[in-house]
Formats: sequence, structure tokens, C-alpha cells
Amino acid sequence: MRGLTKSFGAVRAVTDLGFTVEPGSVTGFLGPNGAGKTTTLRMVLGLIGPDAGTATFDGVPYAALADPIRTVGAVLETAFHPARSGRNHLRVYCRAAGLPVERADEVLRQVGLADAGGRRAGSYSLGMRQRLALATALLGDPGVLVLDEPANGLDPEGIQWLRGFLRHLAHDQGRTVLVSSHLLSEVEQTVDRVVIVGAGRLVREGSMADLRAGADGAGTVLVRSPEVARLAELLRADGVPLTLDGASLTVTGRTTDEIGARAFAAGVELHELRSRTSGLEEIYFQLTAGQGQFAAPAPGTAAPLGGAR
Amino acid sequence: MIALVRAEWTKLFTTRVWIGLLLGACVLAGGFSVLFTALAGADTDGGPGIPPVGNPEYEELVFSVGAQANILLLILGIIGMTQEYRHRTATPTFLATPRRHRVVTAKLLAYGLVAVPFALVVLAVNVLVVMIHAGARGDAPSLGGDNLRTLASSVLVLVVFAIIGVGVGALLRNQVGAIVGSLVYLFVVEAILSAIGAVRDVYKWLPGGAVQSITSDFETPGLLEAWQGGLVLLGYGLLAALLGTLLAVRRDIV
Repeated sequence: MRGLTKSFGAVRAVTDLGFTVEPGSVTGFLGPNGAGKTTTLRMVLGLIGPDAGTATFDGVPYAALADPIRTVGAVLETAFHPARSGRNHLRVYCRAAGLPVERADEVLRQVGLADAGGRRAGSYSLGMRQRLALATALLGDPGVLVLDEPANGLDPEGIQWLRGFLRHLAHDQGRTVLVSSHLLSEVEQTVDRVVIVGAGRLVREGSMADLRAGADGAGTVLVRSPEVARLAELLRADGVPLTLDGASLTVTGRTTDEIGARAFAAGVELHELRSRTSGLEEIYFQLTAGQGQFAAPAPGTAAPLGGAR
Repeated sequence: MIALVRAEWTKLFTTRVWIGLLLGACVLAGGFSVLFTALAGADTDGGPGIPPVGNPEYEELVFSVGAQANILLLILGIIGMTQEYRHRTATPTFLATPRRHRVVTAKLLAYGLVAVPFALVVLAVNVLVVMIHAGARGDAPSLGGDNLRTLASSVLVLVVFAIIGVGVGALLRNQVGAIVGSLVYLFVVEAILSAIGAVRDVYKWLPGGAVQSITSDFETPGLLEAWQGGLVLLGYGLLAALLGTLLAVRRDIV
């Protein structure tokens, strides 16, 4: 993906965006709402024509793929014809792609919808729609999967299932997975690499391990102690940023281990010591702060409401 | 392309829209068959009435009511195309077939072909009702010669209107807009144009004039030949589909 740019009217949705997704891994595509994630994925899949730039799969643009359904599976939409059953929806795309219609039942089983296949899609819950969309993506047994916010509408159990399923698809079956989300915590345990965007531009690209390493100790830690004032003095003397609030302290930039050691050395009694936000979340927030679509209007224009859809 | 046409048929027959439209078309054809037969030869106080049963003009009239169901086939074609946008299935459809003109072509073929059995069912209702009713009134028409030609031309009109529907849907994308727009055009704009003598020369080239030229066996001044009318109608459908493919279908699916 190179130099992708797209404007909707006066709104610059994506600007000169480029990154590469490594085969056989799960890549998280992260950014706040309105950062241009959906627009980017739709450009990659040929549904939206970019103003500039190219996106290719092994060097071939989506529209030029000889057999798109067997090459790339995509979850972009949770809307279906309400009167058509889930199974019949899948059969339509089996026929269009020249696959045997039995594939419909196979993928329904894979996503756990085997019993609901005969029901009208209009009666499905949002979680079931996500599963049906995933089933559609799996029809052609593709080597690449592109998923736009697949965890939306899933219950905690569903999210747990999705994490395992994506890891299984990538690590056990060797598929390439690109999954977008506006929550780092949602994909943190699933993804191997991250691509973070804000206001349509690339903010950070790298492995999850690198991001974690940079995030060590960047979180905030909550401390409760009867001698909170003395501990605050000690930490201030070390130059540690903190806020004092009654009987508790919020410390930034130190791990729980470091603060625990400091308190122990000084003989300060602790009643509670826990990390309040992970360093990863803190870093993600800093990287994308103020970069949502509505926080960053194009120069000289007011931020239009809902301009991108 | 065969796979794509079959995919369109699967889409059509896995919802119940087609049943409603086919029933509607049958009721329309059957209802007008009864009405025209009942009123055939009735005294209309000197006004232009329906010729009596047994008269060839009555037979032409009553065997062309099937063509009046063209509105329902038009709506079938419009829904077939615009439902992709209305229910947002355009996304998976264009993911499966990124070369979008192939989707439009498949729909033109699928709906043109499916309109043939639909038209035959509508005409079967038409013929059955006329045979029984006119037979009861003393003179069941024969199914040969001019009458057969009238029926065949009704099939042609119905099939071509399904194709026009796909074309109009591709051009307008908005289901309600396409249906309302087509109805307003056919029942308001053309009704007015056909009544103005001065634009008679233009009217014969419009869809309404073309339909008349196909369904009327008797030479009507100012109309095209039947085969010309058929080509004009098909031309409108394909032109709308071509413009739709170039202007509307290629647009971003956001």
C-alpha cells in the first residue's frame, strides 16, 4: 500500500498513507473513529477509488485479481438483505464465485452459526451479523483476510472467540490477517504487528513487541498509603511526576515494581499498589490524541458533521 | 458470466419480492380481462366503447392487457438492481465481482431471461380468463393469427421492461426514487405528451409510443412499426444500463 490519498468533498480522509502487511501474521490497524481506517480498507479492496496511490496484493490490485474471493476475504459490512436467510446469503456468493453451495454450510459451522443459517438475516443480532460477515469472508478459503472492526457488537464471549479464531487463522493456518479497531486493548492480545493512524496519516508502524518495549513504565500507577504525604515527598525528590488526592497518589512513568521498591526501602506502609492504565494504552492515546476526524478539520474549513459517509 | 447470472437468480428467488410482483401482474391481467370482456359491446351512449365479443378489435384489446403489467416487471428490474444499494449488499457483490460492469450485464441477462416465464404465466392467466368469460358470453376467441401475434408482442413488452428496470436502477441507485420517477414519467409525463398533437412525432419515439406500436396490430398513424418499437424500447433499457454503469455504478461504495 503506497501513497493512498482520498478526500470526500473538503474533508481529507486519508493522506499519503502507506504500509505493508506481513504474510502469516495478524496486523492490527488502529486509530480513533474517523481516522480513515474504513476508507483505507475500502480503497485497498477497490470499493473506493483513491485520489492518489496504489494498494496491491502480492503486486496485483484487488480489481485485477483473477479470483478475488479465493484470494482475499473481507469483513466490511454487517448489513444484509433482511428477508434473505444467512445460508442463502452465502449461497449467492458461492454461485458468484463459482464455489459449490455446500461451502455455505461449512463456513456457517466454522463461525458457529450452523443452527441460525435458515433464519432471516434481519432477525440476527449484531454479533450474529459479524459472524455471518466473517463466514462470507471465509467462503473462498482465502490466504488474506481484511476485517473492519470485527469485534463491534460482539459480547465478551464473542470477542474471546474472535481472538482465538483470528490467531488460529494466522498462526495455525498461515493466513495473513489485517484487522482494524479503534481500541488497542481489544486487539492487543491478538496482533503481532500494529499500524496506527490518526487523521488519515500513518502515526506508527511496527511490531507489538517494539510498542510494548517503548511503553514500559509509561502508564499510570495508583498508590494508597496511610503515609501518602511522605511517599509523595520521596518520589518528588526523585523527580517523578505525580498527583496527590487525599489518601492516594497517581504516579506517571514508573512501574509498580519501582514504586514498591522505593516505598519498601523508605519503610512506607502501602495499602494498595496497582497499575491504573497500561503503558500501551497511554502511548496509543498520546499517539492518536486529538487526531480524530472531528478534532482535525482541513485547514480553513469547519469540521463538517458526518461528512465521510 | 453464467455463474453471475445464477447468483442473480439465487438473489431473486431467496426473497419473496418476485411472488408479490408476479401475483400483482396476474391480478392486473386477469382483472382487466374480466372488465373488458364484461363491458364488450356495452352501450356507451354514443361514446367510444369496447367492441362486442367476437370482434377482432375486441380480441386485440383483450389480449394486449398482459402488456399493461409492464409496470410490475419494470419494478422487478428496478428492485433487482437497487436492492444492492438499499440493503448494502453492493459491498459483498462488488467484492466478489470487482469488475462492476459484469454485475450489471449479469443482471440484465438474469432479469431478461426470468421475465420470459413470468410473462408466460401472466398471459396464461389472461388467456384463461378471456376464454372462459368470452366463451360464456358466446364467442371464445381463437388462439391463432393476429391474436397469437398480440400475445407474443405482450411477452416482448414485459421482457423488455424488466431489462429497462435494471437499467433505470443502475442509473438512479435509489430504489424509491427510481420507482416513483418511473411511475411519474409513464403515467404523468407521457400521458400529457401523448395528448398533445404537436409532439406526436416525438411521442412515437418515447417508451409509451413504442409500447403502443408493439401491441397494436392495426396500423395506427404516427406510430413506428412493431419491430422498430421493440428495438427502441430495448435501446432505452440498454442505454440506461450503459449510462448507469459509466456514471453511477462505478461510484465509491462507502
